[in-house]
Amino acid sequence: MMEIHENQILTSEEGEILQEIMNIAFGKSAADLADVIDTHVVLSIPFIKIMQVTELPMYIREHVKDYKKISIVEQNFWGRFKGDALLVFSSGSGKELIAMLQHGPGEISSFESDPIDILERETLMEVGNILIGACVGKLAELLKDVVTYTPPMVVVERYYTDALSERQFDVDKTAIVLKTDFSFTEGNVSGFLFLVTNNDSIKWLKEALRIFIEQYE
Amino acid sequence: MFQQIFDAINIGIVILDKDMKVHGWNRWMEVHSGIAEHEIKGSSFFNTFPHLNNPKFVRSCKSVFSFGNFCFFSQKLHHHLFPFKTTSYADFRFEFMQQSCAMGPLRDENNEIKYLFIYVQDVTEVAAYEQKLLEINMRDGLTGIYNRRFLESKLSEEFNRHQRYGGVFSLVMLDIDFFKKVNDTHGHQCGDFILKAVSSRVASIIRNVDYLARYGGEEFCCLLPETGIPAALTVAERFRAAIEQQETNYDGEIIKVTISLGVSEFRKGIESAEMMVKKADEALYRAKREGRNKVVVMD
Repeated sequence: MMEIHENQILTSEEGEILQEIMNIAFGKSAADLADVIDTHVVLSIPFIKIMQVTELPMYIREHVKDYKKISIVEQNFWGRFKGDALLVFSSGSGKELIAMLQHGPGEISSFESDPIDILERETLMEVGNILIGACVGKLAELLKDVVTYTPPMVVVERYYTDALSERQFDVDKTAIVLKTDFSFTEGNVSGFLFLVTNNDSIKWLKEALRIFIEQYE
Repeated sequence: MFQQIFDAINIGIVILDKDMKVHGWNRWMEVHSGIAEHEIKGSSFFNTFPHLNNPKFVRSCKSVFSFGNFCFFSQKLHHHLFPFKTTSYADFRFEFMQQSCAMGPLRDENNEIKYLFIYVQDVTEVAAYEQKLLEINMRDGLTGIYNRRFLESKLSEEFNRHQRYGGVFSLVMLDIDFFKKVNDTHGHQCGDFILKAVSSRVASIIRNVDYLARYGGEEFCCLLPETGIPAALTVAERFRAAIEQQETNYDGEIIKVTISLGVSEFRKGIESAEMMVKKADEALYRAKREGRNKVVVMD
């Protein structure tokens, strides 16, 4: 069933090109991320899957169940390429990130009166925003698109089955899920990035993929 | 023509180039900073705002230039990026204007990022409302001390913590003796006056770490963290003596009241926060039965 479905949307060749573009994009973002957040981020080779939107929460849960508790940063992006970015952090990532990023003396003073949970939220949001922007931005750039973003929303340390609801997603839509796992070389931080886009972007995506590959032909 | 929006809009806009030099500075920024655009244009942004030369801000700028990211600086955590005076003279809640800010990229016709923009929104009013609501939510309207809801949430927090890690804490329940008589003799306004007088006298005795709340009509509850029965008893006795000595002048009339107190302590066998309240309450009622103006400890 699934196979037929996928073929209707992207041909296997298009799938391969997209895979390739994501490899390049994420390779570039990893390099630039090191400059921005002073630590190296390892991004795995992205994996593309096409499914009904309603299957998505189940799919995400299946991947994050080992974490038990997760934090999620969600951001919408829109250009001609548009959709939802969900960055799922493993439990404890927020606190690790605080320790990693709060070494500037100026920064500590601006935070000292705030409780740790607000700090954790904001740190997850900041890092999530940077990571999502890096991955989505590079991908869009290679496809000659420019995207803008909504402010990030964050869910902190929630049990993984409670963190995602079916209601969040629009039924009858198809999701192209681009999944990447990431980890920081410093500190015990890891997780998944899911980019969820739908039919609206498909036409443009097919065209952008064609133009992209023409450069090499 | 559309350029006029830049200066007409009720939002601050700053444009910086890749060397962090100021390229644009709209009218709103001029008004609130007192710095004219021609004074700051072309100069280093960090010369004027050295406090923003911090890792988080620099990181955000880098991510705008390298990825075309949008970065958000919420009022909740940052309060403000630019230390501007508040515009309203009526509200002294904040020393500085509370701001919600964001930054993002500006691209040329080839989609290359040449500048970044920062926009600044004044959210002082919203932040003030939020703070006020939070306070209303945890304080008693008449006396200004904590309300029952707040105390109960603190109590259950303390209880859970002690159940996990051990240690000790106490509760003192206190009630004004013959309060109904005060109301009946002098009127409810006087009763309110006494409630305020008693609560502020007791509040002046407690330590910073203690929580005093109005629990019901003329009943108050004080949570004493890290305090066992002997010390709690001393504190309660101090409350009792202070109120006994207090003379309240209401409309030229001197009114004196006394309080009865019950003390309970977290110990084995107490299974819930409610049970601690119950134990203190029972002790309080024994104090009432035994003649009032008295402190009684739980069995």
